[in-house]
Amino acid sequence: MADEVVEGLKNKFGDAIVEIHEKSPDRTYVTVAPPRLPDVAEYLYKDLGARFSIASGMHMAHGFEILYHFALDAKHRFIDLRVILDPERPSVDSCATRVPATEWIEREMWELLGIEFKGHPDMRHLLLTDDWPDGNYPLRRDWKDWREGGEHGNQE
Amino acid sequence: MGVIQGIGYLAGGFIVAAVVGMFAHWFDRKITARVQWRVGPPLFQPLYDFVKLLAKEVVVPEGASRFLFLSAPLFGLAATTVVSALLLRTVIVPGDTFLGDLIVVIYLLTIPSQAVILGSFASANPLASLGGSREMKLILSYELPFLLVVLVPVIKAGGTIRLGEIVQYQATHGAAIASISGVIAFLIALICMQAKLAKVPFDAPEAETEIMGGAYIEYSGAALGLFKLTQWMMMYVVPLFLMMLFIGAINWRQTWWNLVFAVLIYIGILLFITLVRNTNARLRIDQIMKFFWARLTPFAVLAVILAFLGL
Amino acid sequence: MSLKIKALTKSIWVFHLAASPCNNCDIEILDLLTPRWDIERFGIQLIGSVRHADAILVTGSMNRKAHIRLKRVIEQAAKPCFVIALGNCACSMEMFGNSYNQMHCLDDVTEVHAYIAGCPPKPEAMIQGVVALIQAQLAALKK
Repeated sequence: MADEVVEGLKNKFGDAIVEIHEKSPDRTYVTVAPPRLPDVAEYLYKDLGARFSIASGMHMAHGFEILYHFALDAKHRFIDLRVILDPERPSVDSCATRVPATEWIEREMWELLGIEFKGHPDMRHLLLTDDWPDGNYPLRRDWKDWREGGEHGNQE
Repeated sequence: MGVIQGIGYLAGGFIVAAVVGMFAHWFDRKITARVQWRVGPPLFQPLYDFVKLLAKEVVVPEGASRFLFLSAPLFGLAATTVVSALLLRTVIVPGDTFLGDLIVVIYLLTIPSQAVILGSFASANPLASLGGSREMKLILSYELPFLLVVLVPVIKAGGTIRLGEIVQYQATHGAAIASISGVIAFLIALICMQAKLAKVPFDAPEAETEIMGGAYIEYSGAALGLFKLTQWMMMYVVPLFLMMLFIGAINWRQTWWNLVFAVLIYIGILLFITLVRNTNARLRIDQIMKFFWARLTPFAVLAVILAFLGL
Repeated sequence: MSLKIKALTKSIWVFHLAASPCNNCDIEILDLLTPRWDIERFGIQLIGSVRHADAILVTGSMNRKAHIRLKRVIEQAAKPCFVIALGNCACSMEMFGNSYNQMHCLDDVTEVHAYIAGCPPKPEAMIQGVVALIQAQLAALKK
């Protein structure tokens, strides 16, 4: 029933699963090691038939955290894959080749947070203009806008 | 018939068609508004629309073929004016029409749709070409049952293809609609008319991409105004044509009550168009083809057979 | 010339151009077509192609990517055409003015003929704005 999915994940991926946190009957957070992320995502997408909903990237105090939200509609559940990345040089393997729907959201996470996705087939700007300055990631915690002394802001 | 008379008929036909067509368009919008519990536009709204369109600039897209783009609306307008003039002459002098004018009218009534196709392909816009190609499929679909049911009053009037003789025959022998084959044929003709006027549920060619305008997407100003005027004039010409074929109530020389009946029946047909338009969803083009070929055509053939048998 | 403007005020065809709005203003525009306000009785119609437009209702905040495309679309309208800025974001980029992606309000992109403020503006406010525009155009004629 509810734990079928979790047991299946544990059996298949063993030590790649760092932590499992069941927040509510509908939502389970599964923390995975960054190198195995694409494999787990592919397992959820292809073998379990889950629907990729969205991914959320956050710049937290302990590093960059990405949540990939997969929906198991028939079972009324969300499985959220969580990876925690290095705060200095955030980098993870891209899921875009395995789960095609992640392509655009990874582009957005790169351009706004500066997370590097290795192996992404088509990394270019999604929401910002193409001549946006490099290294300027607006959604980072330490991003300064022009009123606070930062370089790039409203006046350009 | 002299040249002056001919010009007079053309001018008269144009004016009558334009005025009645504008009224028909207003009627359609007003009834639609009423059905939706709204108030609707004032009576002269189509006139305001047309004058405003004449006053706007005509933008010709860069890649478009200029001559075709600007002249396409004129073809449709010209064809509709000629049909209106022919029908006017048939109303005024039923005995003096020429042989085969029924075929000429049917042929001319397809030209406005072809003008739309011409204009849409001259627009150099992919959405316009999509609208144009769908218009072509629409013509293929409804022309088949339409031609079949036009045969019914021809058979009933003894095989004549003079429009005037069909009208006169009905004055003496009763309307063609007063028989089983006539009723079936008239109903099918009404549905084909809905498609000829490109109204919902058959406005896929001009409205599937109406989110962007369909075949008219690149038109503006006077060119668009002429297209719209052609559409409005068709709303007068096609019902009148059907009334002549099936009901024959145009024979005002008999008694002037016929004229009143004719007006009432025309308003009834307009009401039919508007109510069908308001209560139906738009069909896809493949659904339209299947509807006309697989579902209507057998009934049209049945109507022709019944007409042959004298029913 | 005056017949042009007079006919234009009696039959305004409106094109709705959404430059990345939150869609609140767009919903209120669609409200104008519902039986409660019924804008068709003034001859105002919602049409599909920008070339047919007499008035372009621009909603939304123009971010750096959208304003280029917005300018291109507005240039395609057949003249004379009114540009109406609808909602606080289009009038003055009020809420998102200090955002990293925001640089322009509608004034910087093209000439605006009417401003309808509100977040979102009520349909009555929109009708008042359109009526004010019509009256201003007619008054300019009389001069």
